[in-house]
Amino acid sequence: MNAASDASETGSSGSWWRVAAPLAGLAVVVLVFLAIPPHLGVTADQARTVAVHAVIVGIAALGATIVIAGAGLDLSVGSVIALAGVVAAMLLRDGHGLWAAIPAAIGVGLLCGAYNGLLIAGLRLPAFIATLGTLGFFRGVAKWISGSRAISAPSHGLETLATPRPPYAWMIVAPGVWILLGLAAATAFLLHRTVFGRHLLAVGGNEAAAKRCGIAVGRVRLFSYLVAGTFAGIAGLLQFARLQSGDPTVAIGLELDVIAAVVIGGASLSGGSASVLGTLAGAVMIAYLRNRCAVLGWPNHVQEMIVGHIVILAVAVDLWRRRRHA
Amino acid sequence: MTRFARTDRSMAAKTFAGSLAVLAVLAAGCGEGGSESTSEGGDAGDASIRIAVVPKGTTHEYWRSVQAGAIAATRDLNDAGVAVEMVFRGPDREDDREQQIALLENLQSGGFDAIVLAPLDQQALAAPVRRIREAGTPVVVIDSGLEGEPGTDYESFIATDNYAAGRLAGEHVAKSLDGVGRVLLLRYLEGSESTTQREEGFVAAIAEAGGFELIDPRRFAGATRATAQEASENLLSSVAPRGEEDAFDAVFCPNESSTYGMLRAISDRGLAGKVLFVGFDASPDLVAALREGTIDALVVQDPVRMGRLGVETAMKALQGEAVEARIDTGAVLVESASIDEPRHRDLLSPDLDAMLGAGGS
Repeated sequence: MNAASDASETGSSGSWWRVAAPLAGLAVVVLVFLAIPPHLGVTADQARTVAVHAVIVGIAALGATIVIAGAGLDLSVGSVIALAGVVAAMLLRDGHGLWAAIPAAIGVGLLCGAYNGLLIAGLRLPAFIATLGTLGFFRGVAKWISGSRAISAPSHGLETLATPRPPYAWMIVAPGVWILLGLAAATAFLLHRTVFGRHLLAVGGNEAAAKRCGIAVGRVRLFSYLVAGTFAGIAGLLQFARLQSGDPTVAIGLELDVIAAVVIGGASLSGGSASVLGTLAGAVMIAYLRNRCAVLGWPNHVQEMIVGHIVILAVAVDLWRRRRHA
Repeated sequence: MTRFARTDRSMAAKTFAGSLAVLAVLAAGCGEGGSESTSEGGDAGDASIRIAVVPKGTTHEYWRSVQAGAIAATRDLNDAGVAVEMVFRGPDREDDREQQIALLENLQSGGFDAIVLAPLDQQALAAPVRRIREAGTPVVVIDSGLEGEPGTDYESFIATDNYAAGRLAGEHVAKSLDGVGRVLLLRYLEGSESTTQREEGFVAAIAEAGGFELIDPRRFAGATRATAQEASENLLSSVAPRGEEDAFDAVFCPNESSTYGMLRAISDRGLAGKVLFVGFDASPDLVAALREGTIDALVVQDPVRMGRLGVETAMKALQGEAVEARIDTGAVLVESASIDEPRHRDLLSPDLDAMLGAGGS
């Protein structure tokens, strides 16, 4: 029954700004760091590092963009990443090969998404509570099947999927970055060019109105969690590829980075709006800030203080803009 | 008015129900990490002594070794006719102070007779340990330092002399590079006493050698392999912004996860074997890299001995025997070449599965 006035967000006048704002924000952050003495530019190597560090958060954030567009929320994403990575590592360790490990990791994500979706769309639990519960549950399963230890896997050919240096120079950036971009294109298509996307944005904008228009709200919502879960599974696979071991305690607290990326990207947590480009910019911005703090030799706490305020600033600017338009 | 009042009340009721639901979920989600209980010989119920061993975390291979030592000590005590039950339980992450404190308090309220603790913060755990001892439960500190005086503020401190172990790494670098070069240091975690000691020992040895330039931007690897890998990649991209191969000559990392993260970052940059890489602690992955020569040397401790002595010392304290206030369990630097020496093999890859027993999953 909420967010009644937010429905007309998708089209027309404000949309160019919606696309441009996060990119402009990213540009501002880049310029600010350039202005800080000793005015260090970004080398190709550093850019590749930043891109790779945006991959896992970015893929998870694309899933979150879909869920949040439908006024949902997924706090369990970090746990799903850990679980998918542990499953992939265990299968490889037991000699099942990539053709078992890859679909299994993605399938685990899909199953986790289905569970979230059934709790939220089927039992009508609030998304915050349901995924807070599954955050613990999925993490627990990951620890249980791994015996609470990192699972080492033999060499498997995924090693260079998400490392700063691509395996072949012609790739320019790591394959993981291309996967991120491919999924981003798919997400944008899903959101803006399909019936599902239009229905999802309608549900997120005004659930009651969407229901009156005959949209199968439950089914739309369930599907959004299935997609988000699948994306989290892919992110888990890439996390595993990076670490080359399945760590059940990996990505604790990642959901906060993911939500921050979506929010920096200009989406509203009350639903009805989504910007794939914005989400990508948000994920890159977080990775870029971390890299700059390391390059400038700043201690870790400075980085945390800055990232916190980027989120606050992004939301403040977005709210200010909405009020002016309202 | 009445309508408002009713709405208010029902809202309050809803909020209350909501908070209850949140609490229930939180309570369900607040497991305190992996736990395994070992009670050799007979029922744990009646007159047996219960000792809790609390590591800093449960995912690092290192803690499995501590657990293996603790299990071995428990088995020996039971064989000698002392009924002892040992519970091994730790927080999930090595930077979760609150979880370790809560765990200690829960263990004490659960009636454990003695606690063996590897504190993950030298200050944060001092007050909880004081409270536990005031209630009459002896505490033996292992692995990592705790504020206060061993022997008075807690029964005993059993650990590697971490400063000396860090020096060992620094001296190896100095010797291998003939005293000149650029040396990189990735630190582990703010507030972790044992690793800070190693870092300081390393820094001191490098400074004493003279001709080195130490690159130490005080960047921290963080608690997990994933955070360490990201921190390593960022650190390398700052010292070698264009991927230069000659930006530094040697690198040191002060624990297992930071060494692993740096290993990934260095391998990816094609620097494996080109820079001198000294790590700390052993795990199957690190030992494999040492064998390949990607890692040049590992400083290894004796965590099995630490776990064993932890339980034995706690037992002595319970029986009123005098215990040593400070026990050094020693550290050794193992190079690729000396990896197969028997004394090194036991430290690098102890047969944990056998020691943990078939059930120790």
